Amino acid sequence: MGIELLTVVLLVCVLASFALGAPVGLALGGIAMAIGYLTWGEGIFNLIPSTIDTTYFSFILLAIPLYIYMGQLLTRSGIGDAMFNASQLIIGRIRGSLAVSVIGVCSMIGAMVGIIGAGIMTSGSIALKPMLERGYDRRLALGVIMAGGGLGILIPPSVPMIMFASSTQNSVGRMFIAALIPALISVVSLALYVIISCKLKPSLAPMGTGDEANMTPRKKLLTLRDGVFSVLLIVAVLGSIISGIATPTESGAIGVIGALILAILFKRFKTSMFKAAGFETAILISVAMWIIFGATLFSNFHLMMGIQGMVASFTQDLGLPPIGVIIMMQLIMLLLGFIIDEFIIVLMCAPLFTPIAVSLGYDPIWFGILMILNIEIAVQTPPYGFALFYLKGIAPPGVTMGEIYKSVTPFICIKLAVLILCMLVPELVLWLPNKLMG
Amino acid sequence: MTTLLRGYCLAVEFIVRFLGRSVAWLVPVLSLVVASEVFARYVLNRPTVWAYDLSLFLFAYIAALGGAYAQQKQAHINVDILYLKVSERTRRLFDLVTYLLAMYFMLVLIKIGVEQLEQTIKFNYRRQSEWAPPMHHFWVMMISAGALMLLQLSAQWISNFYSLVTGNELIEQQESKE
Amino acid sequence: AEFNWRFANLYSRGTAFGEVYQDLADNIETMSNGRISVQMMYAGEGVSTNGIFGAVKSGLITMGAPFQPMHAGEMPAGIVEVGLPGGTDKPAELMDLFYEKGWGDILKDAYAEHGLVWLDPYIQPPVYILTKEPINSVEDFEGLKIRAPGAYGKFLRNLGASPVNLTWGEIYTSLSTGVIDGSIGSNLIDHRDGNHVEVAKYMYRLPLAGAQVLPVIVNQKAWNQLPDDLKAVVSAATAVHAKEQLTKSREWEAKAVADMQAKGMQWSPEPSDADKAAWKAAGANLWEDYAKEGPYSKKLVEVLKAESM
Ligand code: NA
Ligand code: NA
Repeated sequence: MGIELLTVVLLVCVLASFALGAPVGLALGGIAMAIGYLTWGEGIFNLIPSTIDTTYFSFILLAIPLYIYMGQLLTRSGIGDAMFNASQLIIGRIRGSLAVSVIGVCSMIGAMVGIIGAGIMTSGSIALKPMLERGYDRRLALGVIMAGGGLGILIPPSVPMIMFASSTQNSVGRMFIAALIPALISVVSLALYVIISCKLKPSLAPMGTGDEANMTPRKKLLTLRDGVFSVLLIVAVLGSIISGIATPTESGAIGVIGALILAILFKRFKTSMFKAAGFETAILISVAMWIIFGATLFSNFHLMMGIQGMVASFTQDLGLPPIGVIIMMQLIMLLLGFIIDEFIIVLMCAPLFTPIAVSLGYDPIWFGILMILNIEIAVQTPPYGFALFYLKGIAPPGVTMGEIYKSVTPFICIKLAVLILCMLVPELVLWLPNKLMG
Repeated sequence: MTTLLRGYCLAVEFIVRFLGRSVAWLVPVLSLVVASEVFARYVLNRPTVWAYDLSLFLFAYIAALGGAYAQQKQAHINVDILYLKVSERTRRLFDLVTYLLAMYFMLVLIKIGVEQLEQTIKFNYRRQSEWAPPMHHFWVMMISAGALMLLQLSAQWISNFYSLVTGNELIEQQESKE
Repeated sequence: AEFNWRFANLYSRGTAFGEVYQDLADNIETMSNGRISVQMMYAGEGVSTNGIFGAVKSGLITMGAPFQPMHAGEMPAGIVEVGLPGGTDKPAELMDLFYEKGWGDILKDAYAEHGLVWLDPYIQPPVYILTKEPINSVEDFEGLKIRAPGAYGKFLRNLGASPVNLTWGEIYTSLSTGVIDGSIGSNLIDHRDGNHVEVAKYMYRLPLAGAQVLPVIVNQKAWNQLPDDLKAVVSAATAVHAKEQLTKSREWEAKAVADMQAKGMQWSPEPSDADKAAWKAAGANLWEDYAKEGPYSKKLVEVLKAESM
């Protein structure tokens, strides 16, 4: 079977299994091993040990359990809520303000983690409940978590940026700095979107439930204190990265210890809370890792069969004008997001596409940032997107995939707009690194 | 027959739940191991040789062994757009098909796990680090994780099949159990 | 083609080293008149770099160019093969070791045990240490946190440093924030590609191992299926490849140094004779350690010891 036909067959199988409501990770792994058996033979089963090596033995992915656990401890001890209660005391009179503070918190989490999964699952653990409890529109709340959590790879440090820079021999530092303005634009436009849509449709975000207004001064003071401490915890975790105490992965463990200390200090530590946080974390880790394992097995099989060759020849054979080639490459990456995960898109497309972009006279750093923006979108676009699956994992029971698809749509449009803006105005990406690094 | 099937399903459910909850206690241990490496390196200036591999092992144990329990709690992610629109009966039919695919995957995983375990024992495979901990327990764990998932899927498959054929639930109190 | 092979290497698509392996693949195709077709699998394209050894062993991949420290837990003799710290840097001496002094035969057996055919090895440039602060004498290593896995970590501990285990993707950030004070790289080209010079400027002049010797391996079953003339073709192509690696890697090493110097890399001051002696001593007792890892490791080290007497 040729790679084109195989790709079609795989895609059909994936869509069919999705339609039947199969568990995503198990289905992807099963399809790869079944189609693999038919086209390759029993030998393809040997792809499993190597895939286990890159998934279960990935120190980068270790950030996922640590950050989820930190998030669970913060939420279940009530400290996470305190952060948002405090923000409501201060800016509660602006409609949608809670969602805006969630975006703020997500940006800080984005600055801690370097991968999408940890970003979304941490943000979701901490910030989803407060929004839903206050009667925020479910779709708005989910969309904000997804959009905010996805910032993890756009706000430095970012593992995909490091991978891009090394596989194309560009500066990591320059990439990190170049991402700052696009990240800022993303954060501001997400916040603006929330504020404007709440203004237009007040039912999306009810004003403070009154709790804050009716609080006794003592209660207000306590809420503020708890809020300040929980923000301090986030600052401490960030600080542990910046000051060189811990790597971004390890800093999750610092956050866990910090959350436990805060819970004990505030007399919120209960054995039941501790137990529940551990149980929930274990389930979420299993869910995330079985998807990652199955999906990586799937894309490894596709790569073994030569998808990278197909993509390479496809790009070269089109007689398009330079910007047309750039757009075409963006489209290919978006499409690859249907079936392949974030790291593999970078590993595969960075070395394939970047030399072409450079030969057309474009700046590789600019192209790299476009690629990161693109991947951020690709993992959030239905039907297949890691970010969507993570979000479903963290969402309360009863949230359907359809609802998740709908909730992310406006936010994807915003990110698409940022991507197009950066594509049309390269200075947004290049000005800052050129200014700072010459 | 019904009693036998019911017994099988309940037994599987019990084992999966017990192990799934047990590995959850490794979550705080994992955090402690990673944090202690930070302490050893930053405060004591003596990085350990073991924390790196140990944390990866713990991570793998939690993630792999918890999979069956997540399946029992229906926590694994699926795309439910069509799934939720169809009747209960159709949904069970869908599950029969997709669980077969998943069980096949688990059988492959177990087969490869056993082959790897044989090689690991024959050549005394270890991690490639300075600490070089042995790998045999990891493959035993992976085989168990695959087997647990297989058992859990088979129990759900049997109970779905039973109710499609007889029209009755195999295990009545399943819903109220949480 | 009569035989369809997959060949996995350690480097990403588009890198200079990746091209050399591609040349080997192309050579096998041309020299066999297209009877063997070789599909190249670059790093991350289906098989992890850590998993190349296992993938060739299981037959998933027909041919592989793995890096021994990445599968040290599966075949410890590979660590001695690649070059223990303190080994020679002279290609002629190394080739003598492999082809005249018996290493080649020992390794053939060691790989055969795993169902692998060991073809002509090739030499790659040595491992260097990059640090944030200049190293003025060996004593400066005392207390430094340096990312160095496996045998290299043991060596640095002998010098008073604290070896740190870190995944490749976190080296840059960790150097930049100061989680670590330095890092080794597989070679100077690797340091350049990782952009580490942006965050740590000083390269120490003494390499950890004089030169590294890497194997090309083929799955035994796939090898046995080849008629003798094609076996000869593959062997000849790997011999050509070994030569190309030697000349090209020297060339690229020099270019990598120039690139890094343009970005501000500096060599730490020339080490004193005492420094060089301390360096050698730190490597010496590792031989004994590694000889204990297995029967083939022991045989390889015995040859080394006989040589150095
Ligand atoms: Na980040
Ligand atoms: Na997608």
